[in-house]
Amino acid sequence: MRTLIRGRFALPVALVGVVGLVGLVAFTPSAAQAGPAPVATAPTATTAAPTAKAPAGAAAHPTATAASTASPAAAGTSVTGSPLTSSHGITYYEPAGSLIAPGQALYAASCASCHGVDAAGSARAPNLQGLGAGTVDFWVSTGRMPLANSSVQATRKPPRFNRLQTLEIAAFVQSRTPGLGIGIPVVNLSQASLAAGNSLFTLNCAACHTITGAGDELAYGAYAPSLHLATATQVVEAIRSGPGNMPHFSEGNITNSEARDIAAYVTEVIQHPVDRGGFGLGGIGPVGEGFVALLFGVGVLMLVAFWIGERS
Amino acid sequence: MTDEPTAGPSLAPVSLDDPHLQPYAKHPERVQVLAALSMIIGFLGFIGFGVAYWVSDQNQWLGATLGVGLLGLGAGVIAWGKYLMAQGPFVEERHDFHSTEAERSAMTAAIVERGGMVVQRRKVLGGLAALGAGTLGVVLAFPLIRSLGPKPGTTLFQTNWKKNSLLVTTEGRPVLASDLDTGGVLTVFPQGFEGSSPDQTILIRLAQLGPEDPPFPLSAPGRTDWGVQGYVAYSKMCTHLGCPVGLYQEQDQVLVCPCHQSIFNVLAGAVPEFGPAPRPLPQLPLKVDAAGYLRSQAGYDQAVGPGFWERP
Amino acid sequence: MIDSSLRWVDDRLGVAKGGRTFLDKVFPDHWSFMLGEIALYSFVVLLGTGVFLSLYYIPSAHEIIYHGSYLPLRGQKVSEAYASTVGLSFDVKSGLLMRQAHHWAADIFLGSIAVHMARVFFTGAFRKPRELNWIVGVTMLILGIVNGFLGYSLPDDLVSGTGIRIAYSIIESIPLVGSYIAFFLFGGNYPGNGVIIPRFFILHVLIVPAIIVGLLAAHLGLLVKQKHTQFRGRGRTEHNVVGSPMFPTFMAKTTGFLFMTTAVIFLLAGFAQINPIWQFGQYQPYQISYAVQPDWYMGWLDGALRIMPSWEFVGFGHTWPLEVFLPAVLFPGIIFNIFIAWPFIEARHTKDLAYHNLLDRPRDRPKRTAAGAMMLALLFMVFCASSTDVLANFFQIELNYVLWFFRIVVVVVPILTYFVTYKICQEMRHAEGVGKRKRANVVVRTETGEYETYESEARPGDGHEEIEAVPVPTFIDMVPAELATGAGVRRVMR
Repeated sequence: MRTLIRGRFALPVALVGVVGLVGLVAFTPSAAQAGPAPVATAPTATTAAPTAKAPAGAAAHPTATAASTASPAAAGTSVTGSPLTSSHGITYYEPAGSLIAPGQALYAASCASCHGVDAAGSARAPNLQGLGAGTVDFWVSTGRMPLANSSVQATRKPPRFNRLQTLEIAAFVQSRTPGLGIGIPVVNLSQASLAAGNSLFTLNCAACHTITGAGDELAYGAYAPSLHLATATQVVEAIRSGPGNMPHFSEGNITNSEARDIAAYVTEVIQHPVDRGGFGLGGIGPVGEGFVALLFGVGVLMLVAFWIGERS
Repeated sequence: MTDEPTAGPSLAPVSLDDPHLQPYAKHPERVQVLAALSMIIGFLGFIGFGVAYWVSDQNQWLGATLGVGLLGLGAGVIAWGKYLMAQGPFVEERHDFHSTEAERSAMTAAIVERGGMVVQRRKVLGGLAALGAGTLGVVLAFPLIRSLGPKPGTTLFQTNWKKNSLLVTTEGRPVLASDLDTGGVLTVFPQGFEGSSPDQTILIRLAQLGPEDPPFPLSAPGRTDWGVQGYVAYSKMCTHLGCPVGLYQEQDQVLVCPCHQSIFNVLAGAVPEFGPAPRPLPQLPLKVDAAGYLRSQAGYDQAVGPGFWERP
Repeated sequence: MIDSSLRWVDDRLGVAKGGRTFLDKVFPDHWSFMLGEIALYSFVVLLGTGVFLSLYYIPSAHEIIYHGSYLPLRGQKVSEAYASTVGLSFDVKSGLLMRQAHHWAADIFLGSIAVHMARVFFTGAFRKPRELNWIVGVTMLILGIVNGFLGYSLPDDLVSGTGIRIAYSIIESIPLVGSYIAFFLFGGNYPGNGVIIPRFFILHVLIVPAIIVGLLAAHLGLLVKQKHTQFRGRGRTEHNVVGSPMFPTFMAKTTGFLFMTTAVIFLLAGFAQINPIWQFGQYQPYQISYAVQPDWYMGWLDGALRIMPSWEFVGFGHTWPLEVFLPAVLFPGIIFNIFIAWPFIEARHTKDLAYHNLLDRPRDRPKRTAAGAMMLALLFMVFCASSTDVLANFFQIELNYVLWFFRIVVVVVPILTYFVTYKICQEMRHAEGVGKRKRANVVVRTETGEYETYESEARPGDGHEEIEAVPVPTFIDMVPAELATGAGVRRVMR
């Protein structure tokens, strides 16, 4: 037996082994995908649902994952202050006045060196006055601010500040120009339409962020970031404030209900794609698929041919 | 096909010790066990596929079972063929498959002489037959080609943008001058032609100017009054290959074509700065009507989209 | 039973004699001769899965409201083509498996044609008398690429729709007749009057495959008629073929290979998602996603389009869109014409008009090998250029630099490749024993402390070549001698 394994059977055995391993690993995402996957168990579908499928059916309703990620007041403390405006499931809050004082201290320590003590900007960094708490919340809660080197596009990082601290900073900046700019949106996804979100996303977002939300390189060194970590609040903040090179979508352009639908589509579909077919291959389309077809497909078959045939 | 017919099979005693008839494997019985195991795996795989089909419609189970089944069966059959059948090597003679010189001459002569004989005697018939066949070929091309579609005519030069066309969104909602903020971007169509490919136009607000302000200063000669209240509008069809130029980088003030990364300078009248696009995106002159809606001053002054022969 | 059926058939068709010759047909065993079989068998998978898909796919641009089980699409206006493709991926049992297998098989089909063609090229197998088969093969490659594009376009999703838009503009760029061809094909200005999906469908499922099947029959028929080439080796001459008999050895191996090819395709179909059109959504001419590329076999054209400077020429009262026509029409035209003409170009250059049944080692034909490597380098470079954005994102380099990088390397790398390959070939020819199978030298320390060196035993297969080849006997059963009952000696018909 030993000689057999070592001998001319090494290749096919290794082959079957490799394929088996790939198969085992591949099962992992397919099981994981079964969470909030937006596939309905249609009444006509003849599925004798396997165990993994059951939660998918339950979570399929767009209401199921409502607003779980959207509340800025994570600890439940009354820090959101007063609502500025509210419509179609999005309420824009101005942070509570009690947060301004601690916010000023945090701001002075981490932001003032570039943006100025009064948030009026400097030669190194833009004026923050009038942008509103929502804009500040976006930059700080995605970890893009504080930024060490202002010459490159800020990248998403683990945030430096916790939720409360972020709101405090936002409260301080907002307090410089009360009532101006965008508030912090709290998004209630319970009434959101994934279908509307889908077509709005395709029309307004996919040209830069790609249709799978993977992001890509743009012109002149800029890039559109991946949307796979964005929360519903951050999505709406980005739509409203247009960070960096991103266009700026006002309510006359994308209404609140449309922004909510996009947020729902991003957080429920883009971030939990239905990869029914197996590995998503990074969502970068035919480039990845081509490499797999050539290296794995043709490559393995060439190895098989190498086994079958004569080699000298 | 090239074998000599023989009177009958010549029987010669051949020892089974002849090395050509020995299996390739050193230990055929072990290989047989392995091949059998492999085929059993294949059999189980196919059974698995049958079961998987009825109890689940998970793509992974179907692919895995079918794949393993085919892999097992295939490996078993290959091992059988490679290790357990006569190792040879065997030889087969090649024979010239071209004809003899005499046969070739006879063929040529047959064509030339018989053909010549017929055609020379009946020149009129030959001519008429050729005429008929040729005419048939030509007239058959009429329905085959001409029925396929209309002639281009002036279609490629026209869009549905006319003087005073109302700008509407993809859903047909008219666009108010107050709808977009600075840095806003929107895909618009002339009213009644929502979704039409040649009419797609990208509306950008470069600055929040009022009705009395002078238009945004584009560095495009002769187009000083084509924008209004900070709005400009360009054809969304790339002049390279017609892809929608939907990628707007607000800080860099460029439109980028997502297909082949042509870069258009928005402030200079959408002239291409980089990439394969040869011409600026045509600009749509805008105005604001009494009710505050955006309208076109006129249609496009040139054909939109990629280049073609008839374009002067 | 077999005897009586054969007699029945032979009485009517007279197949026994030719059939026997066919069963005795000898195929050389070299592994690289099986690359074309990958293409053949993935084509078989394509036909099988394609028939399945055609039972569910509706080739219509007619707009309906989607009501299937993929939630984000519910209530959206989609074409019947798109709805039925999503439907067969979600609501038809094993439909997604078949669809993904079809797509993977297409990618593998064209990939294996490419490696098969490279093998034929570098070993000189296209030389007289096989020029016709080379041309048939190149034609199948072109048709395969065309059919791949047609099939990729059928789902009417956002990504493939963008591809059709680009194809329309490429056709439009042809001087003089471009806009006419485009209008006739699409039934009007883009996106046409809804005829393109049904037209692509009938081309994809009937016309092009029928031509490919015909050419495939010709390809294999010519192979049988002309017999396979072989590498030089013991007992191998221009006038014989050494290898395994068609029946049963070759048949077993090749049938096994059919299963293996199908296995790899279905494993990919099960585990690697390809073209998830439900994530892309219905195509609308005013919508676009960034980072869209065609399938890999079209990638080289997309790359050529990307790196081409904007050389539109306006003159003589007309627009000449050279920035499209040169890379997307002329460039592939030239490439494929070089492919087709190569056997004749080479024969003219070498003035070699003899029959060739023995293959060259690539190193022995440095100029051809270098030219082939140059072509591969060129195609690989333009292929990579089709993912400038993905590469720029991955390496975090500015897009324009990546583009300029490719504009330069597309010219420089093929030329360098030519000279480097040429040099390597010459070096290899002069070096002793390069590529030869070596036996290990075993060094043993004896009990007395001395060292001995000897060459290791032959590895399996080493001795195999040393046996003189014999004609195929009738009887090639593998029953070991000691188990053979009866006379103990079998009579073997020579």
